Amino acid sequence: MSWLQKPILVTGATGFIGGRICERLVLAGATQIRALVHTVQHAPRIARLPITLCPGDLLNRESLRQALGNARVVIHCGLGQASGIVRGTQNLLEVTADAGAERFIHMSTAAVYGEKPSLGCETEDAPLHRTGDSYCDNKARAERVVGRFVRRGLPAVILRPSIVYGPYSFWSTRLLKALQERHVALIDGGKGACNTTYVDNLVDAVFLAIENQRAVGESFFVTDGEEITWGDFVRSHIDMLNPQPTVPSISSEEVITHYGQQLGLWASSFREARRVLLSVEFRKMLVQIPACERVLSAIWSRFQAIDQEKQQRFKAKLRGTSSTIVLLAPSENGRYIPDLTTWATESHAVFFRIDKARQVLGYTPRIPFARGIKLVEQWLRFANYL
Amino acid sequence: MPDRIRLGILGCGAITQNAHLPAALRHPCVKVTALVDADLNRARLLQRSIGSSCEVAPRLSDVLGKVDAAIIAMPNHLHASATIDALKAGVHVLCEKPLALTTSDARACCEAASAKGLVLAVGMNRRFEDRQVLLQRVLEEDLLGSLAGYDWECGSPWEWETASGFYFSRAQAGGGVLMDAGVHLLDSLLDWFGPVNQVDSQHDDWGSGIEANALLKLHHSGRFGELTGSVRLSRTYNLRNSLIVSGSAARAVLPEADRSLVTVHRLLGGHEASMTLRLTGSNSPHDSFSRQMSDFVESIQNHGQATVDGWQAVRLIDLVERCYAQARRLSEPWAEVDKVCHEAST
Repeated sequence: MSWLQKPILVTGATGFIGGRICERLVLAGATQIRALVHTVQHAPRIARLPITLCPGDLLNRESLRQALGNARVVIHCGLGQASGIVRGTQNLLEVTADAGAERFIHMSTAAVYGEKPSLGCETEDAPLHRTGDSYCDNKARAERVVGRFVRRGLPAVILRPSIVYGPYSFWSTRLLKALQERHVALIDGGKGACNTTYVDNLVDAVFLAIENQRAVGESFFVTDGEEITWGDFVRSHIDMLNPQPTVPSISSEEVITHYGQQLGLWASSFREARRVLLSVEFRKMLVQIPACERVLSAIWSRFQAIDQEKQQRFKAKLRGTSSTIVLLAPSENGRYIPDLTTWATESHAVFFRIDKARQVLGYTPRIPFARGIKLVEQWLRFANYL
Repeated sequence: MPDRIRLGILGCGAITQNAHLPAALRHPCVKVTALVDADLNRARLLQRSIGSSCEVAPRLSDVLGKVDAAIIAMPNHLHASATIDALKAGVHVLCEKPLALTTSDARACCEAASAKGLVLAVGMNRRFEDRQVLLQRVLEEDLLGSLAGYDWECGSPWEWETASGFYFSRAQAGGGVLMDAGVHLLDSLLDWFGPVNQVDSQHDDWGSGIEANALLKLHHSGRFGELTGSVRLSRTYNLRNSLIVSGSAARAVLPEADRSLVTVHRLLGGHEASMTLRLTGSNSPHDSFSRQMSDFVESIQNHGQATVDGWQAVRLIDLVERCYAQARRLSEPWAEVDKVCHEAST
């Protein structure tokens, strides 16, 4: 019996990705689709579909049991706030494992590597580290919880898309609004990696992850497989507008300098104190005091004993260059300055690779970026955004 | 009948809490004597919120003899049966829209009211908004010239604070956006432009019976002659949110954001000019639910007919039924992924 004939539960079903998964399940012929609905006001899109709406909350296990019913496949796109991401995932995993479901698809994100991933994170085997960002770190923790359940025998698969766009996506609606309000700048000329995933390509990957036994216990990046930059993404939206706005460029250095200047007396004093304390000159003076020299030597030899990667992260943290994100007002004398989250997201150079998804899942992105963006434009016109 | 009309409210959901109950409490000739809801906790919650000692009960039959009139504000599928039960028990009724899910049920309600000589009013509160009268006058005074058509867009992401959630059940709601916000628009259009003799309808129901978007083309034949207009409704998108009525001499714009005005735009000496019309000097309450309540009370006191009676609801539900019966699936090319890929490959 095909999995499409079995009962399927979708969480996050009132959201952009979960909603499209429900639609695609209907188009694929699934007849027993159950959708977890946390906020009924958000349900009009999926209420059009011949599916069962199940009121519930990821933080309430009993409601999850009822929503799960006799579902054999669970597609988890639900989110929650901060640590709720982890607790909600854990609750759903427990209920799913108790019910002996046949497949659990965990919709994670490439942001488990931070909003500004470092080079070296292009493939799924790169280790996860704390990034300092609540969303990223909680999604990473949720992945670890999924891993624990896999080891206990739950057939789960983790998917890591990045910038998922398509009809109903806020990436497009928010960008259009920002373009109209002149609140967009191309960071470093727009050369940052965008890692687009057209929503239907992602749904294809979900279906393949359900069907493919080799996928169990694995994580997969899912993108369109093209090296689309933020410049490409922004310009494709500018092309939809008439008249077309001019979008200025801004360098990473300018953004960093802007927020550096905004730190205020105490923060800038703290920053300078840290700079002095960490400076080579200060260390040279300090080691002239015998007791300090002994303590510093002990700390240094301990530090040398830990692995290189941890050393790098620790140094970055001391220098204040970890990806901890601060949101500040995005303007300076009428000039738009991106907030630091936007800067982090749009200024990195990591293109996630989908070789593993291609090889293990048999995933091939069916909708190329050029086609996907045309479909988005069609929808935006219908939805009155253009 | 006592000095004040003893009113029972059946259904203690969001519309009762936010609109009917405040309107009833404000009216000097009305005393709320009963709150009825199958969920007694919900009824008690409302009772406490108004600090009232009125009866709280799960069924209308529990409060018969203690009410002269009733507002029916239950989930849609219960409207007709509750209305008929109340009328048969000798209770005047103001029923929330839609009066029924089928014309035959709506007719049965009207017949029950006639048989008992009781008032049957239907809760089309928008009919009591200033713009309903204003556009009527604009049309009658021929300010627009000969009418060319209308275009009404009304939609925004849904945020109704539903207490029972019945809106997403076809069996309980009777439909989606057309049966919900749509009936208000259609009712106003019927009132302004007369009967609809041709319907072209599309919606985006994928099989649940609860559409979120609908496109209608309606052809009227009424006292202002033959007229075709279009209506677009949405529960998912922010639309233009205004009605534009075009004529040979001018066009009238009725914004959803301010339903107390009509703006008339016309050319004046080659320049585009506009005038904003508002009703002034009126002593009636400003909110439409209070006006609706006053209309209901006056109908009872004068043994008259409500402004929106059951027979008008029959006409409206007949139109809604025709829209659903003739509806085609709205084109959503971005949703048909296999077709998109097939087209791309060929």
